Amino acid sequence: MEILAQLVVSGIALGMIYGLIAFGYQLTFATSGTLNFGQGEALMLGALVGLTLVGHMSYWLMIPLVIVFGALQGIFVERVGVLPALKTKSEFGWIMTTISLAIIFKNVAENIWGHDDITFPSPLPTAPLQFFGIRVLPMEILVVVGALAIILAVELFNRKSIYGKAVVATSSDRDAAGLMGINTGMVITFSYALSSMTAAFAGVLIAPLTLTGATMGVVLGLKAFSVAIIGGLNSGMGVIVGGLILGIAETTTGYYISTGYKDVPGLLLLLLVLSIKPAGMFGKSVIKKV
Amino acid sequence: MSATNKIAIVLAIAVAASLPSIWSNPYYVHLMVMIGIYSILLLGLDIVVGYVGEVSLGHAALFGIGSYTVGVLNFQLGVPFLLAIPVSIVVTAVFGAILALPALRVNGPYLAMVTLAFGTIIQILINEMTFLTNGPLGLSIRKPVFFGHQITGADYYYIVLAALVLTLFVVQRILKSHLGRAFEALHDSPVASDCMGVNVYGYKVYAFVLSAGIAGLAGGLFTYSEEYISPNTYSFELTILFLLAVIMGGRKTRVGPILGAIIVVMLPNVLSDIDLFRKISTGIAIFAVLYSVYAVAVGQRTLKQLALPMLVIIALAVSGYVMRSITDQRLTIFGVMILFVVYYLPNGIMGFLRGIILKVRPQWIHRHELALEQGDKQHIWSVPDHPVTARGYLLEARNIVMQFGGLKALNQVNLEVKKGSIHGLIGPNGSGKSTMMNVLTGIYKPTSGEIEFNGKFITGATPSSIAGEGIARTFQNVQLFGEMTAVENVLVGLHHTYRHSLLDVVFHTPRCRKEKLAARMRAASLLKFVGLADLANEEARNLPYGKQRLLEIARALALNPNLLLLDEPAAGLTAPDIKELIVMINKIRGHGITVILIEHHMDVVMSICDTVTVLDFGQKIAEGTPAMIQSDEKVIEAYLGGSVAKAA
Repeated sequence: MEILAQLVVSGIALGMIYGLIAFGYQLTFATSGTLNFGQGEALMLGALVGLTLVGHMSYWLMIPLVIVFGALQGIFVERVGVLPALKTKSEFGWIMTTISLAIIFKNVAENIWGHDDITFPSPLPTAPLQFFGIRVLPMEILVVVGALAIILAVELFNRKSIYGKAVVATSSDRDAAGLMGINTGMVITFSYALSSMTAAFAGVLIAPLTLTGATMGVVLGLKAFSVAIIGGLNSGMGVIVGGLILGIAETTTGYYISTGYKDVPGLLLLLLVLSIKPAGMFGKSVIKKV
Repeated sequence: MSATNKIAIVLAIAVAASLPSIWSNPYYVHLMVMIGIYSILLLGLDIVVGYVGEVSLGHAALFGIGSYTVGVLNFQLGVPFLLAIPVSIVVTAVFGAILALPALRVNGPYLAMVTLAFGTIIQILINEMTFLTNGPLGLSIRKPVFFGHQITGADYYYIVLAALVLTLFVVQRILKSHLGRAFEALHDSPVASDCMGVNVYGYKVYAFVLSAGIAGLAGGLFTYSEEYISPNTYSFELTILFLLAVIMGGRKTRVGPILGAIIVVMLPNVLSDIDLFRKISTGIAIFAVLYSVYAVAVGQRTLKQLALPMLVIIALAVSGYVMRSITDQRLTIFGVMILFVVYYLPNGIMGFLRGIILKVRPQWIHRHELALEQGDKQHIWSVPDHPVTARGYLLEARNIVMQFGGLKALNQVNLEVKKGSIHGLIGPNGSGKSTMMNVLTGIYKPTSGEIEFNGKFITGATPSSIAGEGIARTFQNVQLFGEMTAVENVLVGLHHTYRHSLLDVVFHTPRCRKEKLAARMRAASLLKFVGLADLANEEARNLPYGKQRLLEIARALALNPNLLLLDEPAAGLTAPDIKELIVMINKIRGHGITVILIEHHMDVVMSICDTVTVLDFGQKIAEGTPAMIQSDEKVIEAYLGGSVAKAA
């Protein structure tokens, strides 16, 4: 029982990271109906840039810089990959361009930081805290708090500020919002900046717990997508719950079956959710008007 | 197929067969074998990507399943080549079905990610199931032995060539049949396909399974070619390579995948040799500069449009001279190539060439098979698939409620349609008429209520099965298959008359030919009936709006319906055309087809309807003969507002 509780606690931190990346998918999908297939690479770049910066400054000072870098990277992806495809209304187009940008980012990262995984110095003590016999790393608590904080901040921004209203309006009807004088192109660019920013932030949060390297993003991005589908692409609550389910499923499978299989349950869950409720567990299914 | 085409094909095969005697170096032969194997896979992938229009990132995994099926069968059980290959096709097709059944419920980015997830699972499974696959160590097998003769690399080339020719032949036959037409139709307008009885989900799964089977064949051949397989081959990069090849070669062509295969097989060689890379990239840059100078001079493109791609190409060529080694940058170059192809060569090399030929010799390009049949009167009508058995009312909808969020678009509506009548459905804009149509044809599932049609309950059934029961429709906002010709549109409506199987298609059996001929005759006759006989070979999107509406009627009649729903057929028609339409609708009724008519032209409604139902704000406010409706106070109020009594 204690082992199970321990696995659940470890799964929560991991799950929050998945949820945070999935949240990034939601942001761009809401405004433009597109996703960045290189979301995992945005995370990886954030982590590696953070690693370089942390050599010159403290972890806490590095975070805002990484966030700025993430935003710029998101704008680049939107301008080069998504905008031209949106103009030609080619779904195939943006899927392929964001994938190819992801490949390029990974290759560039390999050439700059090398092929090997590097440890990221932890800003907090690495000695675990004990709660009722369950060990929790201080960094894991930071991950949960940080992820929830950024999701809350974005949600508050969307609900309370006038700029947030523009984002919400664009999400619900891009053409109508455009006709009301909202610069929807700008909103989409902004959503990409925000999305890559959360991914980069997720990168520096998770980095001290795992290893950093050019290939760290691929699997994370894919699993976060599973989370977005499982939770529903239009439900903020969904990604958190979906992330937790996946994180816990992984740590428990890793322990009880084999670490080699730890990626399987999440992907199977993805196929299962799709065959039962394609809109996701928390997603609203929208009736397509004809 | 014309004689010149046949000669060209025979020549191409002869050239391909003589290649090993020109390049006898085993390394070159091996490259040619790889091109053949990739071509087979890409021909299958094009069915999904080109025809159905979905992005699959799972084809490397399917290829891997084919490879490992052969590998495991041969390594663990010693199954011979001639048995292992067919088994690998079947096993991969089954895996394709397992993936497609849940995955194709979604589309676009979802499907891409789901297939990617599938690819990841398969790679993990191959790695972990060591008792079968030998895990990361991989499997070794030998090339087959036929009649005591050990097949060599050069012999194997001919086996692959034979498989490629066979695949080309089969894929061509399938795509030119009603199946290929169904694939194109569902890509063009999924809603219309479903309402024409072509089950979109079902045919997508069909296309995917076919494609998977072909990937299995390619995978099996690959195992025997390499004689060693390991899990790392079937990676994400391989999947992207396949997609690049399909778009680069040119979608929806048979030559495109082969061109694409040549490029992606040669690519790693180009990218490992810096000198070769320099030469080729310089060559491409020179060609591109010359082309853009020409394009700007002719005025076809502006300098601004061409500046960015030019810059990229030249930068690529220059980077070749700056870099010492290229292998580290391999993936970046690969990524830049995809970006370039997506933006500047979206129709691939074949599409690009076709565009050039279209300017110089337009008569060489045949986009569509020409239909030259002349229709006649006796072939217009056919017996419905399900005879009318209901007495009195053909259709009864009871207490239909359709709720969108808080809005009740239909609130407790009852509708009874008498057999053989023309039933008008009118009401102001937003009163729920079209919603009713969509509920009746299964596009919307009603929140509550039930629908009985011809003695059967069809509430909640899928649009394609409702179409199969004999309800055909047209759409308020025209839903034609725009890139197909008028006659092809009608042929999609006739899809249900094709009862022959995949094997009939491949072997072109007499049964298949007979059904094909009958359908074409019928289609020509239907076009003649709606007055579009001389526009049969015109693409639907080029027809004027009014004609498009008539084409939709012809397509709907092709279903042999018992009930025809016409959603504003007179919109966009001129006054004389409307008169013809009235004659046409009366003729349709004369052949025993019940009609529900939504229309805003009151003269049309009042002159031909037997009964009229009036909706307002989702509720039925009146029903009766046209004369009764015209004097109904509620109706007048709904249309003109205010109370009549007060105004008077």
